[in-house]
Amino acid sequence: MTKKKNTWKNPLAIWGAKGGNYEVPTPPYKDPHDIWKKTNSYKVPIKKIGRFHYEYKSSNHGNKIWNRLRWWPTRRTILWTKGVYNRKSLKAEKIRKDKRPIFWFFGLLFLAIAPFILPEGNKTALLTAGGIFGIYASINLCWTLIIGTAGIFSLATYAIVGISAFFTCWLSINLGLPWWTLPLIGMFIGLGFGIIIALPALRLDGFYYGLLTLGLNELCRVFITTSKAFGSASGGLFGADTFINQDWTPMTQTYASYYSAFLLLIAALFLFRFVDGKRIGRILKLAPEKKESFAEASGVDYKRARVTVFLISSVALGFIGGFYAAYYRGVAFNLFDFHTVVMGLAMITIGGIGRSEGAVVGTLIIVILDRVLIELGPMRYIIIGVLMMFTILFLRNGLFGIRKQFKEWRNKKKNEVRSTRVERGGEMLPEQSTEMDNKDEVYRKRYDKMQREFLKTLICNEIIEEHKNKPLGQHSEALERVLYYFRRAAMNDKYVVKCEEPFKKYKIMALSGVRGRSPRLVEDKVYPSVTDAYHGLFLRRVQDLMEA
Amino acid sequence: MAEIKIFGYTDKISVKQGEKINFHVSADGTKTAQAQLVKLIHGDGHPDGPGYLDEKIDDKINGEWSVEKQFTQLGSFLKVNDPENKLAIDGDFTIFGYICPSTPKTGHHQWIFSRWNNKTNEGYGIGINKDGYFELAVGDGKEVDYLISELPMIKKVWYFVAATFNYKTGDATLYQEGVLTRYNSLLGKVVPYDYRSHTKTTFRFKQKNNPKTPFIVSGAYDLHELRGHFISGTYAGKVDRHGICNKVLSKEDLDKIRDGELPEKNSILAYWDTTVGFSDNGINNTVIDIGPNKLNSEGHNHPVRAMTGWNWNGKNDNFRLAPKEYGGIDFHPDAITDAKWKVTNSMTIPEDLKSGVYAIRLRSGPGTGLSEEYIVFFVRPKKPKSKICFLVPTASYLAYANEKLSFEAVIIQPMTGQPPTITDIDIEQYKNPEFGLSTYDSYADGAGVCYSSYKRPILNMRPKYRTSGMGITWQFPADLSVIGWLEHNNYEYDIITDEDLHKEGLNSVKPYNCVITGTHNEYYSEKMLNALEDYVANGGRVFSTGANAYYWVVAFPEEQPWCMEVRKLEAGMRAWAAKPGEYYMQTTGEKGGLWRTRGRPPQKFAGVGFIAEGFDTSEKYRKMPDAWHRTVSWITEGVEGEIIGDHGLAYGGAAGVEIDRYDLSLGTPPHTKIIASSGGHSDNYVLVTEELLYAYAGLVGSLDYRIRADMTYFTSPNNGAVFSTGSIAFGQSLPSNNFNNSSSTVMKNVINAFMKDGKLPGGLWTLEEKQWK
Repeated sequence: MTKKKNTWKNPLAIWGAKGGNYEVPTPPYKDPHDIWKKTNSYKVPIKKIGRFHYEYKSSNHGNKIWNRLRWWPTRRTILWTKGVYNRKSLKAEKIRKDKRPIFWFFGLLFLAIAPFILPEGNKTALLTAGGIFGIYASINLCWTLIIGTAGIFSLATYAIVGISAFFTCWLSINLGLPWWTLPLIGMFIGLGFGIIIALPALRLDGFYYGLLTLGLNELCRVFITTSKAFGSASGGLFGADTFINQDWTPMTQTYASYYSAFLLLIAALFLFRFVDGKRIGRILKLAPEKKESFAEASGVDYKRARVTVFLISSVALGFIGGFYAAYYRGVAFNLFDFHTVVMGLAMITIGGIGRSEGAVVGTLIIVILDRVLIELGPMRYIIIGVLMMFTILFLRNGLFGIRKQFKEWRNKKKNEVRSTRVERGGEMLPEQSTEMDNKDEVYRKRYDKMQREFLKTLICNEIIEEHKNKPLGQHSEALERVLYYFRRAAMNDKYVVKCEEPFKKYKIMALSGVRGRSPRLVEDKVYPSVTDAYHGLFLRRVQDLMEA
Repeated sequence: MAEIKIFGYTDKISVKQGEKINFHVSADGTKTAQAQLVKLIHGDGHPDGPGYLDEKIDDKINGEWSVEKQFTQLGSFLKVNDPENKLAIDGDFTIFGYICPSTPKTGHHQWIFSRWNNKTNEGYGIGINKDGYFELAVGDGKEVDYLISELPMIKKVWYFVAATFNYKTGDATLYQEGVLTRYNSLLGKVVPYDYRSHTKTTFRFKQKNNPKTPFIVSGAYDLHELRGHFISGTYAGKVDRHGICNKVLSKEDLDKIRDGELPEKNSILAYWDTTVGFSDNGINNTVIDIGPNKLNSEGHNHPVRAMTGWNWNGKNDNFRLAPKEYGGIDFHPDAITDAKWKVTNSMTIPEDLKSGVYAIRLRSGPGTGLSEEYIVFFVRPKKPKSKICFLVPTASYLAYANEKLSFEAVIIQPMTGQPPTITDIDIEQYKNPEFGLSTYDSYADGAGVCYSSYKRPILNMRPKYRTSGMGITWQFPADLSVIGWLEHNNYEYDIITDEDLHKEGLNSVKPYNCVITGTHNEYYSEKMLNALEDYVANGGRVFSTGANAYYWVVAFPEEQPWCMEVRKLEAGMRAWAAKPGEYYMQTTGEKGGLWRTRGRPPQKFAGVGFIAEGFDTSEKYRKMPDAWHRTVSWITEGVEGEIIGDHGLAYGGAAGVEIDRYDLSLGTPPHTKIIASSGGHSDNYVLVTEELLYAYAGLVGSLDYRIRADMTYFTSPNNGAVFSTGSIAFGQSLPSNNFNNSSSTVMKNVINAFMKDGKLPGGLWTLEEKQWK
């Protein structure tokens, strides 16, 4: 059977219109409505979507005046509450963009009243553990400032605390200094020691600096444990002045030590808030690890900020060292132990580096495991090890990174599922349509898909040949339909001809569709005339159509 | 080394011999540029024509110019004239006003009413924050304290907003209420939005007032080390009546103001009544303060006035009927009507410099593309000397100045039937917002651009420029094909521009026997159209070279003749449409839109009017039977055969691009003869929208007989006449075959007849024919 040849006759031929194209071969006629008649359902199963509004959201104040309470003395509003319109119902409702203060409030409230509600039997043990928790949480908050905020991977944190504790303790024993001077002196020791370890941080980074500080920690341990003055014989230095009066009843003493550690924690939290949340912390967030050069090029003096944060933290750690000596009336060598460093590291990694809640909750978990569940014996360390392994293997940023990580994971899953469900040509599914405010666009995509499917059936050598011979002017119906579609495409990534040299050199570019943003060159090919460029551009559009 | 770019403009578009003209130039990557005065002759590089032609002119302006980078203030705003710093309030205050934000959520802060310094954070002001919430801010020079509204603002909805501040206690309140009616906003009453929002807080410090900070409506004062003072944080949207009181007004007080009352009189520091100052002839850019201090504010970059206000009731469609409903002033952050660059150089036009089209050619570095600039200007004779004058359609140049259709209008490719052909100049023009927009573009907030000016570089008013959407010359460079024809044939001609026609009226054209128009003189003010009509009625002769002419109504503000206003209404081939109630021009109080909709279709004056546009191909004319009538047969004398214009630089034909048709029902003079008509236009030629009552299939070149270019001729009283070609492509067909072609023959016949004093040829053959066959 011979193939029937179709031709198209140009209605303008009789006029002798310019440019010819009077009779050309063309593909057989196809009905553009067929696709609409044939398409009666999605190709993938469709389910109902929508989420029940189970959460209570307070409505707006309407005619009443809403007093925007602030955290004195800042201008931050409480819970960062703001009114929004619900996208589905347009009803005004309130969202609290920062719920953390609620958790902090209840968490700290619990700690504050814990001595009164804890079971009598274990009270002393628990409160002692609570005191340890307060001190370690404070140390870890400072450490988080160094590792998280400043991005300096220092493992010498406990060394600073230890050095400060030993020296202040020694001073107290030998010079009879009263307890309240110890933290203050500790601050100076912390600063001095901080300066010494800050210097190499300017040259070394990451792993190497970590090793160096670990070495430093070890050095301090060896120095202290072998110095007679620091009690090499007695396993530590004891007898410093303390604020806990030995004449008080044991319970009162326990309360005093518990609450003093609690206050220390509060102070550390404030310090964290005012370093991490203020200008200096924000500067450092612009210069995360491995992106320092970008930040520097943008005019961020991140080195200065890093060292400043490091020194502030060191001063605080020195303070804690002094406090430690006064709190325990002395200090034991185990503060320098590798065990201590590892436990500290476990605390901040499990919680999530760089966050105050991470440091505090991480400390809480480890302290409970280490000091409260003592009957578990060595198993405790296995549990801690498993926890750490789990955190490192599965969590990107500790417990408090779970939420973000979960959202990302859900997004990834969503995209995976969608890619298996998506309709060819890009028609929107019900679940995608929820993300589009302009429902006209949802329909446009459907129309576009139908058109594309039809137009693909028109692409053939005949129309490509016809276009090549005459890119502008009257065309056969098949070609004209394809061209109408191309010309009406949206502006982003729409091809245009770029004239490099008038009447000699042309290239093809694609528009940005965004005012002020330059078009981009899509290929290097040079066309000798604008007509050739028109055809080159047409071929690209055909290719895009067939591939979509 | 940075890429060298040079751009410039002149302070006047039309200059007489002996007058001074200033050049404003900005350059990137160079400190000097070589200047050369050139007389422009032909501007189309198409290989079928003579190519680019100019003539170097010796003048002391030539040589090396020192140039520098200049900055442009973008955005329209009002600046309050407050020499005594009455608004440097060291005490309680209430700021209030009606606003209708176009794009509340932009990711940038938009200041609405401010006496604020963005550099130092000093002062006070209200605006919309980057997330779209209304906000009051006070700054003490160190820190900023602010209060935001409860709910974000909805775009294109009218609100009454106010902020109060108690200087002693630091208590600040915000008041935000929707005042939408059935007519005034994008949305109506059925939408369940609650627009109310009342918040308060206590600030930690008080405003510090810098005596140098001005009070700005739509923006705030700023400083840049190279640029100096400027306004940043400009606002997109409307503002209606607004004011400041020197005390804290209660919610009840504000409720009253919201409902349209004035605040208590002795509390008013300033109350800008945006509805004061209207007359039948429009309103200027001064906003009147009816308060005790008379702190009027002045518009910069033409904030658009005569816009519907918060209380527009939909019944009155015109500020002349109800000025109190037209308090709306529309601001756009990307508006620019005067670049205000420093003068780089200036020259006095030599007395003996022939009237013509001139340019200062500036080159630096490679001297091509962006490192070459032609600053075009038009030189008129001190006293008219020639019989012929070429009327340069500068108003139409302004309309298209720096258009960005190829980059952002989806309609451009379907309309032109081809992909755009862009150059580096187009890309630069698109990337750099400082060149401003044309009346074919919209502001980023979606409103159509209704002001255009020549006090900014106009990159498409250059020789050699090819308009990107259509791939041919357009407007100015296309008109140079007519200039080139005059030069080639050694006609003596003078130049006048639309600006001269507008300012001087009939007197500007009266001395000439013949006026030749440009290829696309589309934009006409009433004064311009009157002058030309009177000219023809009094015996003048017009050779109407192009098509789609005498189409849009435009106006020029009296104080700023370099700026043009246009409002595009319901009909016409248009890039945007004015919003309901905003059809009357601020500048003159006239209704905008098409001259056709104001009772003056182009046919009434030129014999033909716009019928279709296509841009993919051009065709030729065929002589019509009347061409052989002796009244007009002289027009086609010397044309071999019946075909005219089978050639040209615009798609190879003389009939195309945009075409006009004869129509008695639209006022074509009854004795008009059609000399020739085109046919066979492609289906990309579609009937214009103003012809449409019902849209139906087949309103295209191969199916609708109306789609054609008519070449017409008619006589007017006192030996006047109008010849119209009915096609834009006609002008570009003249240079074909070195100006030796059928279009050129026709034009020569007509111009030779038109320039002669006395009677026109063919006038005696008017007796009714007694025909035997």
